[in-house]
Amino acid sequence: MNRVVITGIGVVSPVGCSLEDFWPAVVEGRSAIGPFSVTRSERLSARIAAQVSGFDPVALFEPKQLGPMDRFAQFAVVAARAAVRDAGLDLSERLALETATVIGNASAGQTTLDDAYFRLYGENSSRLHPLTIPRLMTSAGASQISMDLGLKGPTFCVGTACAAGTHAIGLAFHMLRSGQAPVAVAGGAEACLTAGTIKAWEALRVLSQDTCRPFSRTRSGLVLGEGAAILLLEERAHALARGARVYAEILGFGMSADAGDITSSDPDGAARAMRAALRDARRNADEVDYVNAHGTGTTQNDRSETVALHDVFGPDARRIAVSSSKAVLGHGLGAAGALEMAVTALAIHRQTIPPTANFEEADPDCDLDVVPNVARQAKVNVAMSNSFAFGGLNAVLLAARA
Amino acid sequence: MEAVTDEVRQIIAKELKIPVEPLTPDTKLQDLGVESLDLIEIIFALEERFDISIPYNANEAPAAGTADAAGAGLGKLETIGQIAAAVQGLIDTKTSA
Repeated sequence: MNRVVITGIGVVSPVGCSLEDFWPAVVEGRSAIGPFSVTRSERLSARIAAQVSGFDPVALFEPKQLGPMDRFAQFAVVAARAAVRDAGLDLSERLALETATVIGNASAGQTTLDDAYFRLYGENSSRLHPLTIPRLMTSAGASQISMDLGLKGPTFCVGTACAAGTHAIGLAFHMLRSGQAPVAVAGGAEACLTAGTIKAWEALRVLSQDTCRPFSRTRSGLVLGEGAAILLLEERAHALARGARVYAEILGFGMSADAGDITSSDPDGAARAMRAALRDARRNADEVDYVNAHGTGTTQNDRSETVALHDVFGPDARRIAVSSSKAVLGHGLGAAGALEMAVTALAIHRQTIPPTANFEEADPDCDLDVVPNVARQAKVNVAMSNSFAFGGLNAVLLAARA
Repeated sequence: MEAVTDEVRQIIAKELKIPVEPLTPDTKLQDLGVESLDLIEIIFALEERFDISIPYNANEAPAAGTADAAGAGLGKLETIGQIAAAVQGLIDTKTSA
């Protein structure tokens, strides 16, 4: 079995579109949550989100390339370009033939869909833009990356809601480990901030009106985000041969399904995914130093995730640092797991544990070391990243210092 | 108020697909096995029927059917009677506005 390392990271995030902006904001707990701007927002109750700002597609794409691209695919391509650049990888024609592209999305082309249906039902237009379908299709992120970078290996999208980015990276990791590809571009992308999507989230009654406070007793729900994170995964020998800088090694990937409630996460399902990742990595629970939690900031998720962490780690659950990046980044749905795996890899690389920002008060239901508000310099040899999606679909990655 | 209570009974029975007859103002939602998604579907049906907006956030609910909609001025939403009172209050606020 091949060993697999992360040699490049690209982000489009609510705290910036470069690692120089991204990492300090995550470490300093500078939340991107605030007022947002979308068209047709008049009837929305939600007043806050974590929106990507300063993203100018016209400056980043040729007009012909931009035509068939929804905002989520633009995010995906820009993050993928950044990941390849960050890895310093020369994608020769031969290597590109074998390079895999695996991208996770939850809702994909929402901007396109919202605009199209408004035109159709709101404005009673009898025709839609001819590129509506290529823009909105779920696979557009993966396709547009492969076209932009000329990647011709195994390419597909993964649609597991809020765990999609994690599933995508995990599947790409397994492909590299088994020798199906030497290099993969893997991650998640989402642009779900449209009036229609936000209205639908409002109807679920889980959105916070003030901000996202994971694991805090005063937590009041989740806050929607958007963005993309793409990792450049490389077979370790390939990376070492070219003298690449390595952020972290991916050790294991675990998946499970709750087969229970469609929205409430189940501690047992989450615990089984964590155990599967440890087993896949052939590591013991007591080796883990840091967990980047799913930590959405809803009453239910954070309580359930705490139970699962106690179940898997036993007495060590109180020793291990656990933090959620959603207080800073919001919940980027299909992008969330990828953004958080980027945080996890950087935590390992910089030996710094990012905090749970916006933390106010300890909750007896979340009796963990949630690294409240202030980052720590600490030994991070092995770290875990959790994603537990609606529909009970769980994905967990385990990574280590290279 | 009686008319509202009766409509609330009808709506809850329809959403939960159970007979309406045994439902009284004292019936607790929890005893009907209401889960979190049932509750938001019931609230949605009430909002649609009475053209009101019920400020309910699942994160303020300790458990389904025992919702103490703190800060929303709704009081307890534990029994059918309490829900009917909250709905009546929202209807009154709407008509006096």
